[in-house]
Amino acid sequence: MIFLAVRYLVARRRQTLLMLLGVFFGSAAFVLISGVMLGFRGYLVNQLINTSGHIHIAAREEFLTDHSLDASFYGPLARVFWRVPPSGRKDSAMIEQPQAWYQRLKADPRVVAFSPQLTAGVLFSKGKATATATLIGCDPEQQVRVTTIGDYVTAGRFQDVAAGGGRLALGEELRRKLGVNVGQDVRVSLGPAGGVVPFRVAAVFTTGNRLLDELSYGALADVQKVNGTPNQVNEIVVRLADHALSAQVATTWAALSPEKVESWDQRNAYIFDVFKIQDTVRYSSIGAVMIVAAFGIYNVLAMTVMQKRRDIAILRSMGYSTRDIVVLFLSQGLLLGLSGTSLGLLAGYVISFYLETIRLNAGPIESGIAHILVSRDPSIYLQAAALAFAAASIASILPARAAGRLPPIEIIRAGAE
Amino acid sequence: MAIIARSIGKRLGEPPSDILSGVSMEVRDREFLSITGRSGSGKSTLLYLLSSLDTVSSGAVEIDGQDLGAMSPEELCFFRNRQVGFVFQFHYLLSELSAIENVLMPARKAGEEETRRAYAFNLLEEFGLAGKSDRLPRELSGGELQRLAIARSLIMRPKYLFADEPTGSLDTANGELVVGILRRINQRDGTTVLMVTHDSGFAAAADRQIRLADGRLGEADTSVGASANGRTDRSVAPHDRGGSL
Ligand SMILES: Nc1ncnc2c1ncn2[C@@H]1O[C@H](COP(=O)(O)OP(=O)(O)OP(=O)(O)O)[C@@H](O)[C@H]1O
Ligand SMILES: [Mg+2]
Repeated sequence: MIFLAVRYLVARRRQTLLMLLGVFFGSAAFVLISGVMLGFRGYLVNQLINTSGHIHIAAREEFLTDHSLDASFYGPLARVFWRVPPSGRKDSAMIEQPQAWYQRLKADPRVVAFSPQLTAGVLFSKGKATATATLIGCDPEQQVRVTTIGDYVTAGRFQDVAAGGGRLALGEELRRKLGVNVGQDVRVSLGPAGGVVPFRVAAVFTTGNRLLDELSYGALADVQKVNGTPNQVNEIVVRLADHALSAQVATTWAALSPEKVESWDQRNAYIFDVFKIQDTVRYSSIGAVMIVAAFGIYNVLAMTVMQKRRDIAILRSMGYSTRDIVVLFLSQGLLLGLSGTSLGLLAGYVISFYLETIRLNAGPIESGIAHILVSRDPSIYLQAAALAFAAASIASILPARAAGRLPPIEIIRAGAE
Repeated sequence: MAIIARSIGKRLGEPPSDILSGVSMEVRDREFLSITGRSGSGKSTLLYLLSSLDTVSSGAVEIDGQDLGAMSPEELCFFRNRQVGFVFQFHYLLSELSAIENVLMPARKAGEEETRRAYAFNLLEEFGLAGKSDRLPRELSGGELQRLAIARSLIMRPKYLFADEPTGSLDTANGELVVGILRRINQRDGTTVLMVTHDSGFAAAADRQIRLADGRLGEADTSVGASANGRTDRSVAPHDRGGSL
């Protein structure tokens, strides 16, 4: 029957081509749109996971409410009416018992490494150039095990931050703002009025992510001194053996401690919401293309069935069964689905390499990639094939079944009149 | 063995009307039987009932001892493929296929396309279609198309050949050619032939004639050229044993 199906398709070249194009564009578009979206997504997620660590343990920031001070001033039973209610934030946003955390993390077999940090907002100045930035105090040896920051160092060595006191690693953006180079000094203060401490630039890193490239790292003890908070840390960054466990582990730890414990995906939950919206748009737009393609196939096949009523009748009179007739028309749809899909996937694959050569203007996030990233994950191709093939088969099953049900005798009777 | 109709009837249409009623008859093996009657008398309907294409509203048709009504769809397909050939007034060839491919379609269903290819060429040659095997139907004349359709109906060497006005769309010369072919395969191969025709001249080529009137059997074994259609003056093809029964 496939032999005859092919003949039918070849005989109606124009219609066949149109039906083919529908499936072709549908599957090619799916592969390309998904490839670009997932390519960028993969890059983003990879950066999230690797440059900022799997789990962050941070002091919970507490805000004062109207009555949070009642008990400490007037005892637990007092009912207090404030003329000016207390407001603001508890000052010391520090992890209360870091040692307990260190022991727990060391004992946990899932933890590969962890790095206690003290983060401070500081003012950098070099000559007349100033810049406010986040200064992260850490143990550089641990930090490079927990995050990939060491991989992005473009000048100097990240570990040198620990060699002697008063050394810094600057992000490229920050370095440019200050106009300094490795080996030069910058001055660091907590604010315009605070005391000034000189630091020497020991390393520069470029991640490509502007937000990360505005950070700076120093040795933990140095930052504690600048901040006036010796021996204190406000964040512990943890790396697990398996990053997929991050959310689960973070949730159990959060239940055990007063600190805020968040995994990389929990910290960036909004990004996953964006992903969901992207997916909805992606599937519905491709779905629309597929529905149009499916309607095309349905229309042409339904018309063919009507035009080929006599063929159906004569085939039945020769002993071809209902099933043979269904196969005759179904296989036309499936052939179209198969060839349209494979051509579409092939075209998508080839075009994806071309897309990767397109250069991007450095945006806030893309500045590191500088060209479009296209994912060629086999699952995209499988999905596209499944979708296009499903559309083609659903579109052809209805006319095919109708063809199978046509009673040959009525066609012959009508044809004889 | 033979085809036996037991008081068969057919109701059709809305409101239902009896197109055929109480027809009892027998088609013997190796017989050439013609069915004649006025237009609308139910000739085609009877042929379709006897040939398993249509189902009876009452009565029963038995072919080689098997009740058609009791056969499964698979058995019917197999039966039509192996035992039956059809020729219609219109050729019903598949326009996308070449002459030889059309002839081989029943063999393709049986999975015997290759083994019957030589026989297909024989048939084409016998029917004056040698050298035209690769032509598409639209590249052949009406008479050639009908002969091609007969070749197709014979490719499986069926036991029964049913022909519904096979000459209906042909001119006299081509009609005679076709009836001659039917006559020949009946005599040479022993194929049982049932031919519907409203041409009494062609009907006379048969061993036996059945006449239908208003869905009922009229007098059988009418002799040639009784009254119909002003064809009485012409004799048809060399039909040596005009009415052997
Ligand atoms: N689907 C139908 N519904 C109702 N009546 C029908 C239907 N098909 C055919 N008929 C009627 O059945 C009768 C017999 O039809 P049939 O085709 O068997 O006649 P016929 O003898 O072959 O005629 P002709 O020589 O014109 O081919 C006709 O009167 C026709 O009008
Ligand atoms: Mg008729």
